[in-house]
Order: sequence, then structure tokens, then C-alpha cells
Amino acid sequence: MRIKTGMLAAAALAVATPGPALAGWKVMPAGQAAAVAKSGLKVTPQSAWNRASWRPSKKGESWTLDGMLLNELRFFAGIAPGESLVKERNKKDKPLPKFSAQMLAPDIVQYFEATQRIVLGTSLFEVDSVEPATLAGHQGVRFTYHYAVQGDELRRNGEARAAIIGGKLYLIDFSAPALHYYDANIAEVRAMMDGAKL
Amino acid sequence: MMRRARKAIAALAAASLVLGPMPVLAQDSGALAYQPQTSDERGLWLEMDEAERTLKTSRFVVRDPELNAYVRGVLCREVGEERCRGVRIYIVRTPGFNASMAPNGMMQVWTGLLLRMRNEAQLAAVLGHEFGHFEHRHSLQNFRSIRGKTDAMAWLSFLGTVGLVAQVGLLGSIFSFNRDMEREADVVSIGYMRGGGYSPGAAAAVWRQVIREGEATAIARKQKPRRHGRGFLDSHPAPEDRMTYLANLARDVPDVGGGGFLGAGEYRGAMAKWWAPLIDDQIKLNDFGGTEWLLEEMALGEGWTPELLYARGELYRARGKPEDFAAAAGFYREALAKGYALPELRRGLGLALLRTGATGEGRALLKEYVTMQPDAADRPMIAMLAGGE
Repeated sequence: MRIKTGMLAAAALAVATPGPALAGWKVMPAGQAAAVAKSGLKVTPQSAWNRASWRPSKKGESWTLDGMLLNELRFFAGIAPGESLVKERNKKDKPLPKFSAQMLAPDIVQYFEATQRIVLGTSLFEVDSVEPATLAGHQGVRFTYHYAVQGDELRRNGEARAAIIGGKLYLIDFSAPALHYYDANIAEVRAMMDGAKL
Repeated sequence: MMRRARKAIAALAAASLVLGPMPVLAQDSGALAYQPQTSDERGLWLEMDEAERTLKTSRFVVRDPELNAYVRGVLCREVGEERCRGVRIYIVRTPGFNASMAPNGMMQVWTGLLLRMRNEAQLAAVLGHEFGHFEHRHSLQNFRSIRGKTDAMAWLSFLGTVGLVAQVGLLGSIFSFNRDMEREADVVSIGYMRGGGYSPGAAAAVWRQVIREGEATAIARKQKPRRHGRGFLDSHPAPEDRMTYLANLARDVPDVGGGGFLGAGEYRGAMAKWWAPLIDDQIKLNDFGGTEWLLEEMALGEGWTPELLYARGELYRARGKPEDFAAAAGFYREALAKGYALPELRRGLGLALLRTGATGEGRALLKEYVTMQPDAADRPMIAMLAGGE
């Protein structure tokens, strides 16, 4: 009976969760610098992460430790003016905001927030802090946020680091359920953000 | 195909059952009003009661007791206290224009709908329409017609929508009532409005607004306006047709004293606390044309208030075309000139000015913002943009 409930819950979760049904994975070994998002941006994980073959956009890449629903680390590199952060899946009815090289730090946060609200279809998305930071030695922004998605209800926390380098946007974003996973992973993620090189 | 369909049915049917971890609470589904009569109907109510338990605990339900009492009060005024008791209204935080009604009396009203109503009578039109589905038991008719079919896909589409009840956001499509049902609900809603003393013409105005906003969205996106609208409107009569027949119906009903109650001021008062977060949800949808139209429409009623001007500044600044920053700065300045004390107004104007190259003035305004809002989430960043502390 217990097993059956678990299966049903898994089935329900599969129905409720958007995203790829099938993905190929590649282990990103601990302690080895890895070039991400087909760019010159390099990070060094402390533990072994799994890189999904499925990508959020041509200029993005997703990693996870325990599955995307439990911890998702995304890298975006070289987003050019006029481009959306992630792939536009419904250009006609839900066009995504576009990047501009003149954006100030708060504009980048706003661009990220609007993109997430539209893609996730949620109004419960709040930015909790925005402060100056560097990414790969360039002036940028660090921000934290939390959100929930309809039909899931779990509170998720997130933190991102971004900078405009040579007129293009570089952004690393981590999100995970506030329950256990965010706190369990955030120190390692911050170290990766701090150590990112271009 | 069939096996896969059956599997999917099992999964979807389960979705609404397993996602609700709360213990069963005593339901007051229409305790004093209508009770389900047949086994079909009892089964349907049971499903909906399960879905309602999930909804009850959702973070997306707006629990503000004043707003809830106001919305409920409008429904009760038009259908009467007795019949009103069979309905539980849930205000759901989601920016689309939608409301829905389940057969057990669970009504959902989206905040995007509340943002768009211009007066109490318009809200009464929508609530009355949804109540019409409930009172005429349209869901049951649908359920029976589907049960009569052997086609597994018909089951799938029905159970699919029930399963999705667990996903609050998709509830707009719980039951695709057919067009005759929609029309019937429209017709009875005019009667309810009259009963509550509301101006029946407000029902047609709702649809006029839906059409115009859709057009404005499409034009700004360089698309052709669509006749049917999107989402839940697809199963409904075209907004143009509704606007016309509702206007005709409103003309034909016996006179409501003095043309009926509109309640624009009452509505604005009830929504005052919620307007800012709801327009913020709307601005973040990246729908410049539709949002600009909404703001202009609101300004027709109440003039360009500081709140509307601030929202317009935010909208232009969010779009961020090169010419938008000067326009945004203009709107912010107007709001400032009207004495608007909101700290975020300084933030918006300051950021817009930095983008237009008016760095000195922009920084000074950002400094004002961080002084006024020392605990702001973005204080460290804005303080840096203001030139350091």
C-alpha cells in the first residue's frame, strides 16, 4: 500500500512538473575546472555534479546533484542584446523580456524575475536581496529570491550572480527547495560562483 | 494507445487525491443549500471536495479577510444570502482574467480578474455568471454526457481536467462548459444582477474590456488580434457576441431603479490595498500593450492618479526601449509633482534617469530612496548606484 502511494505520488509529480521527460547526463568530476554553456566561462565544483543534455537555451546549461527538482544550477554565458535568458517556448502568447547591454544591475534582476514568472507561470516570486558582487573579476550583482509554483506549492529559494562582460550577460543561478536542499548546497554553489573564471 | 490512455487516467485521477496531505475536514459544501441527488452527482462532488482540500492549503489563495468578505458580499447581494451559502469563494493569486465554478460550490476568482474589473457591478456580472453554472448544474450535465461515451479519450480529457484541479493555476479549464451553457449562465447572470440592484449593462462592459485589451496586446506585439481570445475564452462564445447579446439583454430587463448600481468608488476602495501588488504582477508579464491599455482605461475613470503614473513609469522602464526611459521619467515626475510619497517612486525615477544620462539627478534620487527605505531588499545595490554612502 505504501509502495502504491509512492508510485502514485511519483506519477502525480511527473504530471505536475514541466521539463524534459528524458535527459542524458554527464558527470562533472569534483575538483576539475569545467567550461560551461559552450563558452569560456569556467567553474570548479567541489563535488561531482550531473550535467543535463537538455539545455535551457543555446547559451545555457543545467547541472544538478540530486535531480533538477531538488537542486538546479544553471549557467548562462554570452547572452547578446535582444536575446531572452531562456529559450522562448511560446513566443506568440508569452514572449520573454530581452537583454540589453545598457542594463543596470537592478534591470538584470528585473529581467531575471520577469523571465522566471512567465516561464514558471507564477505570481509568487519575490526578490529578497540585491547587492554588488563580482563575477569572473567583473563588477556585477548578487541577488537572492524565493518562489513557489502552482500545483507544487513547495517554497524554493534561489541565488544568482550576474555581470555584463563585453556587452554580453553572464549569469549563474541556483535554486532548490527551502526545505533542506538549498541550505545543503548553497555553500558549494557560492564557492563556484566566487571562483568562476572567464 | 488504449493502455497508455488508461495509465494516464489512473495517474491523473490520482493526482488530485495524493497531493492533498491534509486530513479530511468537515465540509460545509452547500450545507444549507443544494445537496447532490444522484450517484453521478455525489461522485462528482466527492472529486471536487478532494480538489478543494488541496486548494484550501495553497499558498496561492489570497486570505485577506476584508477582500474575501467584499467579494463574497457582492455575490450574496445578487443571489441572496440563502443561495450564497452553498458557495465558497477562493481568490487565487494569478494574473490572468479568469474565474471558475466547480459543481460542489467551489468558486475561484483570479486576482487578474479583480485587477480588470472597473466597478462592483462588473464583478457581480462575473460572479453571477459562475453562480449560474452552479445553479444550473452544468458540470453534472457535462459529466453525464461524457460518461455516456465509451471513448477512452473522452474519459481522458475529462479526468485530465479533474486531475489538474490539483494544479490551482489550471482550474480555469476544469469544465469546458459548452457555448449554450455559457450563454445560459450569461442570461441568468443578468437576472441576478438585477436582483442585486446592479446595473445590468456592466456585463457587456466586461467583454468590451476583454476585447480591447486583447487587441492592444496584439497590436503592441505586431500580431493580428484574435477573435476568440485565449485559454478559457475558447470554449466560450466569442467576446464580441457576448458583448452584443449581453447589451441587448440588459436593455430588455425591467428597469433597475435609476439604471442600477455601478459601485466604482466602492470597488476601488475594496481593492485599494491590493492594487499595487496586482498591477506589479501584471507589469512583470511582459505584455506592454495590454498593460498600457489597462492603465489608460483606469485613468479614464479616475484620472491619472499618482499610483497609475507610478505604475506606468514602471511599465515603460521594464520594457526598456531606448525611448522608454525618458517617457518613464516623465510619468514618475508627474507622480512626484502630485506629492506621491512612495519611496519606490524615487527609485524608479532615479534608475530611469541613470539610463537617460542624467546621472547627477538620478543618483540624488536613489540616495533619497535608500534614506527613506533603509531596510529595502535592494538597498546595498541601489546605494552603490547612488555613488556610495
